Amino acid sequence: MSEQERRPEDDGQDFANAAWSIPSYLLAGMAIYGGGGWLLDRWLDTSAFFPIGVVLGIVLSVYLVYRKYGR
Amino acid sequence: MSALTVLADDQFKAPSPDELFTFTPIIPGVDWFTKPVLLALLSSVVVIGFCWAAFANPKVVPRGVQNVAEYGYMFVRDQVARPFLGKDADRWMGLLLTLFFLVFLWNIMGVIPILQFPVASHIAFPAVLAISIYVLKVYLGVKHQGAVGYFKNMMFPPGLPKPIYILLSPIEFLSNMIIAPFTHAVRLFANMFAGHMLLAFFSMVGFWFLFEKLTPLGATVGVIGVVMTIIFTAFEIFIQFLQAFLFAMLASMYIGGALHAEH
Repeated sequence: MSEQERRPEDDGQDFANAAWSIPSYLLAGMAIYGGGGWLLDRWLDTSAFFPIGVVLGIVLSVYLVYRKYGR
Repeated sequence: MSALTVLADDQFKAPSPDELFTFTPIIPGVDWFTKPVLLALLSSVVVIGFCWAAFANPKVVPRGVQNVAEYGYMFVRDQVARPFLGKDADRWMGLLLTLFFLVFLWNIMGVIPILQFPVASHIAFPAVLAISIYVLKVYLGVKHQGAVGYFKNMMFPPGLPKPIYILLSPIEFLSNMIIAPFTHAVRLFANMFAGHMLLAFFSMVGFWFLFEKLTPLGATVGVIGVVMTIIFTAFEIFIQFLQAFLFAMLASMYIGGALHAEH
């Protein structure tokens, strides 16, 4: 949406959207990549991919949140 | 209350979730018809009756019930609908107002004497509402943005470098399609469940130490229990209102997100 089209309620809406989406994104990131790492661990009989996946998931979620709402 | 019957022991026992949230059928043989179901039905009737009394024959200068209902309407419109739906707000007021009133009534049942059970503390009730909103959200998204467009707008937010989409799209999908409706229901359920547990615990403390086993030392604990019950009842009314507001607000947010792609 361009600057001229912005309605006054957009700022509040963006803020609320961000506030309610961020925990959801963090959980989703951890679940997807942590879960993938857990499956890899089971398959390869290792124990390193689960923690790596969880951290990767958080990093990616934070990056996503930053790009979507951070500017 | 069933919690009182298990106190044959000399020891104080905190009420367990099993005692507080399991009910026997009101009519023997009709297993589904328990106290929460009765309260849920009662709430629906009250909401219908209230809205009927207020809006069936509206006056230009509101009086009585209409006056009260219009305060509720204006609150929902200005705080819940307009921030997320903008010019579409009025079309969705019917749904959002009913949703807010119904959930608020479900919750406030927890502190009304005799009734004293927040309906939403049985997860089936908020789950049905959250699933309905979820179905509505997906339907509206597909209708207004197209089946491909809806998922494209959801999973591929503009402005990111191309390769990163492979990593971020699963997060978007899981967050929007699975975690969002789940937390929508669980947030309401968990708040009401915990609130009911707290109130039951403190009133149990007061009842046990002041009426069942009154001792000079125990009386102090009992008084603390009664005072805490009063404080937490006030706090609980606030939480009940807040959770009803949040439930309606999130519904409005999901509907708004389905009507217009994020930008």
